[in-house]
Amino acid sequence: MSYSRRPLPYLFVLIFSTVLVAVACVPPFWAQSAVPPSPKATEDLPAGPIEAKATTACLECHEARIIVQQRLSRAAWTKEVDKMTKWGALVNPSDRDALIDYLSANFGPDQPPYEAPRSSPGKTAQGKVAPGKSPRRKNVVIK
Amino acid sequence: MNSRRNFLKQMSGAAFAVSAAPSLISWAASVDIPGEDGLIVRSFRFVDLETPVEYFDTWLTPVPHFFVRNHMHEPSELNPEDWRLTIGGEVEKPLTLSLAELSKIETHEVVNTLECAGNGRSLYRPQVPGVQWGKGAVSTARFSGPRLRDILQRAGVKTTGKHVMFRGLDEVPGKVPPFIRSIPIEKALDSDTLIATHMNGAPLTRHHGFPARALAPGWIGAASCKWLTEIRVLEKEFEGNFMSPGYRFPNQPAKPGDAVKPEDTHVMTALNVKSAISRPSEGAKVKGSKVSIHGTAWAGEADIAKVEVSTDGGTTWSAAKLGHEQAHYAWRLWTYDWKTAKSGEYIVMSRATDTQGRIQPATPVWNPSGYLYNAVDQVKIRVV
Repeated sequence: MSYSRRPLPYLFVLIFSTVLVAVACVPPFWAQSAVPPSPKATEDLPAGPIEAKATTACLECHEARIIVQQRLSRAAWTKEVDKMTKWGALVNPSDRDALIDYLSANFGPDQPPYEAPRSSPGKTAQGKVAPGKSPRRKNVVIK
Repeated sequence: MNSRRNFLKQMSGAAFAVSAAPSLISWAASVDIPGEDGLIVRSFRFVDLETPVEYFDTWLTPVPHFFVRNHMHEPSELNPEDWRLTIGGEVEKPLTLSLAELSKIETHEVVNTLECAGNGRSLYRPQVPGVQWGKGAVSTARFSGPRLRDILQRAGVKTTGKHVMFRGLDEVPGKVPPFIRSIPIEKALDSDTLIATHMNGAPLTRHHGFPARALAPGWIGAASCKWLTEIRVLEKEFEGNFMSPGYRFPNQPAKPGDAVKPEDTHVMTALNVKSAISRPSEGAKVKGSKVSIHGTAWAGEADIAKVEVSTDGGTTWSAAKLGHEQAHYAWRLWTYDWKTAKSGEYIVMSRATDTQGRIQPATPVWNPSGYLYNAVDQVKIRVV
């Protein structure tokens, strides 16, 4: 009785396609909110009296995540600031101590650990971490 | 155009977005990095990406899951037609090879577990500066390309040649010293040391050093310079920041927190013996009377002799079953089927021993730069 079953797949495809098109036309929820979640491709430095100068000194060469993941003593931050100044970071000698204070206060050993984000899961990662819950996004692979 | 700006311009072509997502892991704010799937972003600019341990479930790591370690910015422009590899220094006949010429040299394959010397740095106490790698700055791939030995033989190494220096096309920010390192001539002439052009059968991707990288198998990742453009044979070890004070290990154990004088250190070469538990993950709740514990183990230039698992915090140990896929320089996957006694919290540990008799220590060997972490691995789980 195969003839009587033939229309069903077509009906299914039609309905499924309609649903797909409808879903594709709806903006993702973050596009609807006033303040979209920050993508945080690169991290920000925390607010503070020397934030602007720290941004100029440090972020010219690397992003803030390299800093915010550290949990170092004041002595270790002092070494890092002096090394980076030697390597081209623009730190006015009169700002050196304030910069060390800022880094030590925000990224000292007693701060909770920094939680790094993940890169978006593509085909390779699907099904790896949350079986049954396919990641919603897929990367466009540009090599 | 300023190279950094160029790089940013290129990267801005990629879509940075938030993935709304399921789940157990923080996909909540994931970063789109084309070609890299679900890696832990230790740094985006420059790129440093860690392989999550749950991906240690295949002998060969798919390239999108292979960790990435960059010391500085990737070459912003690299035209394979224009790319050249020069071979000079203590050689009879300096050479310049195009990619087409390089590809005509006989190819050799090596399955190699590549590990960053700083893998596990975040686990040291007191903490030390540097990329705060967890357990996943390590991956395994089938690398292929000409042997470095064959290239050096074409150039004719003089008897004065004792070390071989690699320079890549990394773009140096500020006054940062360039990323240049050298390896001893014996390692350079080893039949498994490559100028790799392929990884898992495909041309190297940009993050992994396209079009060619050195591959010093079994050694710390820093020995395998990416975007290679110059090979120079030297009379002595290269002198530069990434040979000293960078990438050196104390000759004697240091007291945690102590400084170590440069003269009391040596250049790191081969990797340590080490294992990692890939499943169950830290904090997992597992059901059932039988729990399969999975992981991997590697030992640099040595082979894995055995992996043992403890489910009672290290009091007793049982042998894990080693996977059948193996190659010199490559990790071994392993499994252990644990018949759980009763519900509750457990510390599951893994400990590898290699063919040189090296065994993972119970506690890490602290050092000022947080290199070569290889303490017994452990996860805390709850059996319900």
